[in-house]
Amino acid sequence: MLSVNNVSKQFDQVKALSNVNFSINDGTILGLIGQNGAGKTTLFHSTLNFISHDGEILWNGEPITEKSFDEVGYLPEERSLLPKMTIEQQVTYLAALKGMPAKMVSQKLPGWMKKFEVKGKPTDKIKDLSKGNQQKVQLICTLIHDPKFIILDEPFSGLDPVNASLLKAAILEAKANGATIIFSSHDMNNVEEICDELVMLKDGHVVLHGPVNQVRNQYPRTKLIISPTIPISDVATIPGVIDAKQFSDHYQLTLSSEEVGKVVFKRVSNGEYIETFSQQAPSLDEIFRMKVGEIDE
Amino acid sequence: MVISPFILLLISVGVGYLSSNSSSNSEPEIAVISHTPAVTATKVTKTTDAFTSKSMSEATAKRKLHDNDLDGYVVISQQKSGRLTAKYTGNKKMSAATQTGLIAFLQKSQQAQNIMDSKVTARQLTTLSRQPSITQHVNNQGKSDNETYKVVAFYLLVVMAYFILLTYSTITAQEIAQDKGTKIIEIIFSSTTAQKYFFGKLLGIMGVICTQIAIYVVGGYLSFNIAKVGGDFKELINDNSHLIHMVIGNLINVNLLFVFLGVVIYTILSAFSGALVAKAEDANKAATPAIYICLAAFLLSFSFIDNPTSVVTQILSFVPFMSSFFMPIRVIDGSVSGAGIGLSLIILIVTIGAMAYYISSIYEGLMLQSDNSSFWNRFKRGLKYGNK
Repeated sequence: MLSVNNVSKQFDQVKALSNVNFSINDGTILGLIGQNGAGKTTLFHSTLNFISHDGEILWNGEPITEKSFDEVGYLPEERSLLPKMTIEQQVTYLAALKGMPAKMVSQKLPGWMKKFEVKGKPTDKIKDLSKGNQQKVQLICTLIHDPKFIILDEPFSGLDPVNASLLKAAILEAKANGATIIFSSHDMNNVEEICDELVMLKDGHVVLHGPVNQVRNQYPRTKLIISPTIPISDVATIPGVIDAKQFSDHYQLTLSSEEVGKVVFKRVSNGEYIETFSQQAPSLDEIFRMKVGEIDE
Repeated sequence: MVISPFILLLISVGVGYLSSNSSSNSEPEIAVISHTPAVTATKVTKTTDAFTSKSMSEATAKRKLHDNDLDGYVVISQQKSGRLTAKYTGNKKMSAATQTGLIAFLQKSQQAQNIMDSKVTARQLTTLSRQPSITQHVNNQGKSDNETYKVVAFYLLVVMAYFILLTYSTITAQEIAQDKGTKIIEIIFSSTTAQKYFFGKLLGIMGVICTQIAIYVVGGYLSFNIAKVGGDFKELINDNSHLIHMVIGNLINVNLLFVFLGVVIYTILSAFSGALVAKAEDANKAATPAIYICLAAFLLSFSFIDNPTSVVTQILSFVPFMSSFFMPIRVIDGSVSGAGIGLSLIILIVTIGAMAYYISSIYEGLMLQSDNSSFWNRFKRGLKYGNK
């Protein structure tokens, strides 16, 4: 279990983290979301005890120190491999630092390369791999020693949808094996898809925390998607409709309250069949944008 | 990299062998034709290697010269007055050495001829042959040998130290800068402590240096013994065995410790400067501080090699980073006491210990901060970043 208790970090005039509090149970995936500079990487660095901070971050009741390093798998935000090494040398080097014997790496590496569909042989040099394959090798370095606590800083960045699916599958497999996983992402779909919980940071503050569904359900169902039966101008003028957008096959309305939905339904259906009428809470992406102030809450 | 000195040695031996072979086969030569029994051609040809031992007539020599089978020919004759003359004809000028040898031989022959023609008595001859006598009495017998071994030992030591320092300072700084620049350091620090990484790197590089020195010592010992047994260097080694032993004696003593500690302190400095680069692309610049200090110490030491008792040499022999170059000058000269050597070693070891302790304590911050600002800003930021 990871407990983050009242963690703050100040860099010169910048407050990078401010009284951050949350906890994650074993076998849970937590998505850490926030804009660039919100404090996600600083929180990871504090968790790994790279930097000093106020408050405490405990893994199974203790700060992460050399004693627990072998249980941790960490993928930094920037892709970091030594280009002159071969895949096998690179994975063996980093796995050895986690206490994994080279022989075991040799046994497990082909399986991991197959799982991530890395094109190439273990003897290929890192510099000769494509960026996508380099990223997969780095993920292998993070996961090959079966860590109990996995920190992934922007793991989906730069991955195409097919490779993102491979990574999601690997994360879910690690979860099934009992690992606790925390990852940061700008892509809310990934967070919605695989996370049990999320923490949203804004300027170093936690502005949202909880199970993903619970977070979404905190918000009223003021988002309405309907198939067009009448002109959009007729819908936009209904009292309580704040915003109306026309897309190729549907309209998207923003309502002032859930109750307005009933009024809209009456108007657009007029007692007749309607193909689409979906009233829902805002998506995680919309909640994120609301929270970071891009759109009004 | 490690075997490059041996490759250089093999190349130089090979070049020397080819060069000597080609010079010994450098036909054509100069023919000697003598028209006087007082100076036979055979005697003249023995004076230098430039003359061919083959006897021939003037006509033959002229033809061979025309066919470029000879560089030239010398015709020696005696005038009625008894004066010996030599006339050289050739396609190129006679070398100065050949000319000197020929003149010396002819002078000697002329003198012998003159004495015979003068019909002097044995007593008169003794009187005429009287030569001034010059004798030398040099105090401290063998001092010139001492001066030579000091210079040779110093150059060997300093050049060896300089190249080892330069090579490994660059390697250390570049490796660490690459670890930092590629951000792999974040993965490493999630697996081990910054202190272990720092000392691990130092120990690893020291291990490589010691291996390299050991290879040189073993390789040098084997090469020396092979050369002593036979080959072109046998005579050279036997003639200079005293000098060689003096030089080796001055290399394998406390001076080697100064060089080794110099390597340690420069490696620590390089590890520090490598941690201060911002990007992997700057890895090549990382070694600059260590290289500049090393270069300054190296060049300065050359200026003071002839002045081991000067105040500057004395002061710098106690200053860390400089003492590895300057104390050996004084040790080789024998102008420093055991206490002085000990004090310099203590200062160097304490400085190394203090630097290693301080840098290892701030290393995590230095390695993890990635400000792309000035050197000092990065240093200050690193101190704050890792301040626990």
